[in-house]
Amino acid sequence: MALGTAALHPAWRRLDLASTGIWLLLGGVALLAAICLPQFREVENLANIVRQSSVLGMLAIGQTFVILAGLIDLSVGMATGLVVVLTCALVDGDSAMTLPVVLLMLALGAGIGAVNGTLVNVLRIHPLILTFGMLFVLQGAIFTYADRSVGRASAPLQTLANGDLLGIPIAGIAVLLVLAVAHFLIVRTRFGHHLTAVGGHAENARRAGVNVRRIRFLAFVLSGLSAGLAGLILAGRLGTGYPLAGSGLELDAIVAVVLGGTALSGGRGSVIRSVAGVLVLSLASNLLNLMDVSAFVQTFTKGVIVIAVILANQPRRMAMAA
Amino acid sequence: MTGPAASPALRARLDRLLAANAIFVALLLVWLVGAAGSEAFVTPGYLFNVVRQIAPVGIAAIGVTYVMILGGVDLSIGAVISLTAVFCAVQMDGDAANTLPAILLTCLVGTAIGAVNGALIAWSRVTPFILTLGMAVAVYGLTQIYSGGTARGTVAPGFRDLANTRLEGLVPVLAIVFLALAGIGLAIQKMTTFGRQLFLIGSNRQAAILAGLPVRRTTVIAYALAGLFGALGGIALLARSGVSSTSAGQGLEFQVLAAIVLGGTTFEGGRGGIAGTVAGVLVLVMAFNLVNIVGLDYHLQLVVMGAIIILASALYGQLQARTGRA
Repeated sequence: MALGTAALHPAWRRLDLASTGIWLLLGGVALLAAICLPQFREVENLANIVRQSSVLGMLAIGQTFVILAGLIDLSVGMATGLVVVLTCALVDGDSAMTLPVVLLMLALGAGIGAVNGTLVNVLRIHPLILTFGMLFVLQGAIFTYADRSVGRASAPLQTLANGDLLGIPIAGIAVLLVLAVAHFLIVRTRFGHHLTAVGGHAENARRAGVNVRRIRFLAFVLSGLSAGLAGLILAGRLGTGYPLAGSGLELDAIVAVVLGGTALSGGRGSVIRSVAGVLVLSLASNLLNLMDVSAFVQTFTKGVIVIAVILANQPRRMAMAA
Repeated sequence: MTGPAASPALRARLDRLLAANAIFVALLLVWLVGAAGSEAFVTPGYLFNVVRQIAPVGIAAIGVTYVMILGGVDLSIGAVISLTAVFCAVQMDGDAANTLPAILLTCLVGTAIGAVNGALIAWSRVTPFILTLGMAVAVYGLTQIYSGGTARGTVAPGFRDLANTRLEGLVPVLAIVFLALAGIGLAIQKMTTFGRQLFLIGSNRQAAILAGLPVRRTTVIAYALAGLFGALGGIALLARSGVSSTSAGQGLEFQVLAAIVLGGTTFEGGRGGIAGTVAGVLVLVMAFNLVNIVGLDYHLQLVVMGAIIILASALYGQLQARTGRA
């Protein structure tokens, strides 16, 4: 134990910032916004924040799986973009086409994840580099297919992204459902335990009989699937297949996961806190918008937040020594 | 591998030789393919123009190579190129007398950003990949704030002409500047203590710390040099295009990385060097030109680049594993 903790009150000793920090941050930002900005408290604004968070929420859930397994997936932004473009181009406003295209896109997302998972196992290169390369392959694919906005989202997709059910945004409900399944997978199933074991120490997990390759493959498939879901919602939000729709989303998703206290080194974290991380990012962006801060300053602020969050999340010295 | 005792050793030596020189073989192959497909690849004027075309990326890649030998990475380099190109144009303000001070100031800005990267990485245990990605976003925002989101500043008269003049009507000055800077970069890598320490720290950081090497200082210097060469790349970009746009350098970091990885400097660090990087830059630009000549969609360049990053990393990893085991 660290030297200073002995003198602390027991309640403080239990305060682990990795797991509670995000809730304090979320509460703090929300409270600040609620007090300072009356527009923030309007129901429509709150619903908007939920809708805005839904795309990133899906991606953050998927990213949590790969990061828990000690991997990372930089290709999800472009995978999302590809799904957006293809969805709108194939559906092209036709409601009857929605279901087949939705299924096809979920398969596409999972397929991209499967390619990542297979290549990381076969080529044995760092997932950072692999998915980084994949980012360009996907970007090239998007632009070869369409270099301007194509197609039109159908009515059901737009309802999914913008509609309400009993006053609650449907996209938000979708994220909550996926979140519940993801949390169950990680906390209650054998797969979840193996996932954290591989992320904690792959070699030990292998010796304990875990099929490390299979776990890595599945983690990437889930990440790809989340990109498929995110792409479908984003297609509904945008209404048209904008080729650059997904660029940069991978970084936001990683930042949200890291904000939620999930260790980049793997083995430790929570999907629920990742979604809380997404809410913090959305709240912050909403706040800056309501305060009329220019987009340029927002970009700069975002960069600084990324750096600050990464610096705050670094492995502690004590943990390293152990 | 069940042959006589000498055979595995010979094989390992061959592997090592191949690992060290693969990029030069690749360069030759790409050129031969190009020459077979198009007259242009045997025309000196065209080849020098290709070097001029890639000079901004090539110059920036020199500095990032140091960082990667160290086992780090700098994804903020594209944003630095954008910022410095705009900054330099604003400082020049269309007056030839401002040229030199503008260039010096611009170099200072680039070096400062690199030094901040280096200091943050040296005094923490963060992943340089994500940290410099964050820095890229921050610097990109800074560029937009500085320029107001549009092209700003005016290039000094004569500056652009000088950079694009062809000596003897053949060799563009910008191409010479690139090759000269590569020469300086190579000298720093080969002849200075800093250069040797890069490889020692990159191949085994823990051992380097225990041996008392100035790991932090070397880290800061390497990233600062990346920033400096990034600024020179930005100035080269300004000289080549003559206009400063806020997103001029956007995405160039990926060409830089692809060229470096292609040149044999891996993400793991401890190996590679500037010579390989220069060859990697040339392979990349020739591959891009081939994509164009063959008549494929321009956007397929991105696919080529992504595939190169993945396959080159995998190939060097395999070669290293084999030579390491022997």
